Amino acid sequence: MSDAGAQQPIYDLEDVVKTRVAGDYSFSLRVPNLRIHPGEKIALIGESGCGKSTLLDMLAFVLQPDKAERFAFQPDDKAEDIARHWRRGRRNRLAALRKRHLGYVMQTGGLLPYLSVRENIELPRRLLGLPRDDTVSELAEELGLTRHLHKLPADLSTGERQRVAIGRALAHRPAIVIADEPTASVDPFAAEKIMALFMEMVEQRAITVIVASHAWRHIKQLGLRRLAHHSRRSKDGLATETVVSG
Amino acid sequence: MRQWLRSLALATRDYFHEWQISVCFVLALAAVLGPMMVLFGLKFGIVGSMIDELREDPAKREIRPVGSGRYDRQWIERLAARPDVAFVIPKVRNIAATLEVQSDRAARILTLEVIPTAPGDPLLPPGVDAPQGLGEVVLSASAARKLQVAAGDGLDGSLERRFRGKRERVHLPLTVVGVAAPQAFGRDGLFASLALTEALEDFRDGRAVPALDWPGDPPQGERHYTGFRLYARSIYDVAHLEEGFERAGIEVRTRAGEIATVQRMDRTLSAIYWAIAVIGLAGFSLSLGASLWANVDRKRKELSVLRLVGFRTGDIIWFPLLQSLYTAVLGWALAVGIYLLAARGINLMLAPQLDRAQEVCRLLPEHYLIALGLTLAASVVAALLAGIRAARVEPSEGLREL
Repeated sequence: MSDAGAQQPIYDLEDVVKTRVAGDYSFSLRVPNLRIHPGEKIALIGESGCGKSTLLDMLAFVLQPDKAERFAFQPDDKAEDIARHWRRGRRNRLAALRKRHLGYVMQTGGLLPYLSVRENIELPRRLLGLPRDDTVSELAEELGLTRHLHKLPADLSTGERQRVAIGRALAHRPAIVIADEPTASVDPFAAEKIMALFMEMVEQRAITVIVASHAWRHIKQLGLRRLAHHSRRSKDGLATETVVSG
Repeated sequence: MRQWLRSLALATRDYFHEWQISVCFVLALAAVLGPMMVLFGLKFGIVGSMIDELREDPAKREIRPVGSGRYDRQWIERLAARPDVAFVIPKVRNIAATLEVQSDRAARILTLEVIPTAPGDPLLPPGVDAPQGLGEVVLSASAARKLQVAAGDGLDGSLERRFRGKRERVHLPLTVVGVAAPQAFGRDGLFASLALTEALEDFRDGRAVPALDWPGDPPQGERHYTGFRLYARSIYDVAHLEEGFERAGIEVRTRAGEIATVQRMDRTLSAIYWAIAVIGLAGFSLSLGASLWANVDRKRKELSVLRLVGFRTGDIIWFPLLQSLYTAVLGWALAVGIYLLAARGINLMLAPQLDRAQEVCRLLPEHYLIALGLTLAASVVAALLAGIRAARVEPSEGLREL
């Protein structure tokens, strides 16, 4: 990826810290340096509780960092100073950025139970006022959901629901898709298939993707860049710090 | 489409998708509101029909002087000019105000009380003009029955006096122009113009009545009356008028006590009703608020998803607001249904004990609207609290639950 280095990074983070306190325990995530370039496929591997979700939430602008030397987001020509938006409390600006540039696949789908499969996939497009075209049908076709389009999420299997979630994350052609353990609730065999399909689809669409997973095994052969991270615990065992960089 | 509109559309879908829970909310609301409406309907119906009865019955507005006094025409006219007096007419001596009356159809000669009347007299039947001049009369229902006459028939009236040692009897032809309702006047009576009652008194006092060619002494100077018939404008003016007469040293008899009883009962029932209504409404608001609040907790994940796909803070508030408005309107509609059924049942059950078209349980159209307004207001307050909470749901909060 020699040319990727010359391009402006889509995420540019420097010295970003988030600390969470629960009872006596504290957990902090520190990102001394993180650059993600357009088109990159990033994997964040680790046991649960290591801070993957905290990082993903910050990258999706849904969690405010306690401290951020620099937090720049540049999905197109214009750079957005996310750290500043947070400081100014511009939540609606962050919501608008999410709406336009981000797709998010949740661990458990996060589908709206009262909308049909088609309406769930369509939701981000309709929020943006995008035209009703074949996008949804094509996505459904690729994801093997065509015959489920009129069903409610409750009538689908877990694997099917995750595929709907992937469809929803891609429907509005976002610059970035963030997936938090997208296959954790599916059996390993199906998980591998869904992950492969997901990667194929983002690659075709040249979408930057950031995936968190606790299993490296089936991520490895998909050609993702793994972010380095290490955790250390304080002597009294009450504080954990995770450092991620890449 | 605007985002808040989309938010409304989604809230609608959600509300009807989870119809079991929505039905519970609606039932909970109707369970509080329905009985409240029945209660108010009863209060309004019972007190309302008692007040109507008081209001419709002129006897309740009547103020009668006790014993005889001495009133001149100016005094009566000043009284008539008062805004709280609906009708007043002076009366001649009771003993002079009688007439013996005979009809062609009945053999009996009846001695009738003669009551002075004029346009505006509440005892006259609606649609019948007050008797004019010295020849027209309105009969009480019992008198008309005993004489077997109806409007348009003729009568012969006569009266007697002892004048300069001789018995003298005069006759005067009368025309019946109407018959009063039985409840207006219970005895055998005859309503006539003030002039006719004055003529009867003059004749009995030995004076001449030139208009009827009755001979006698020349007429007196200024006439004084011994009493009057007075009706207050409304039952609420009776107590005040009574006070005025007592201050002027005129003892009067009224139904003020009866009126005060009903008014006191109205106030007591209203107070009881409002106490129950306020407690009920407070309870309802709390329960609606609590369930909406809990609902936000339950929907945390879905609300997080909405925020994650880019709904703004302001758009999220619409979610619980619209859903509680649905609950309010549907709950109100159900409560109205419960009320209508209950009211019908109560009215049917008590119909035999009621006269006329009285209803024990009854509401006016505006009462339904007031109930709707109060319900909407309570649910908007509850929903706004829940909505603000919903808007505060951090998008990251609910993502990993379930």
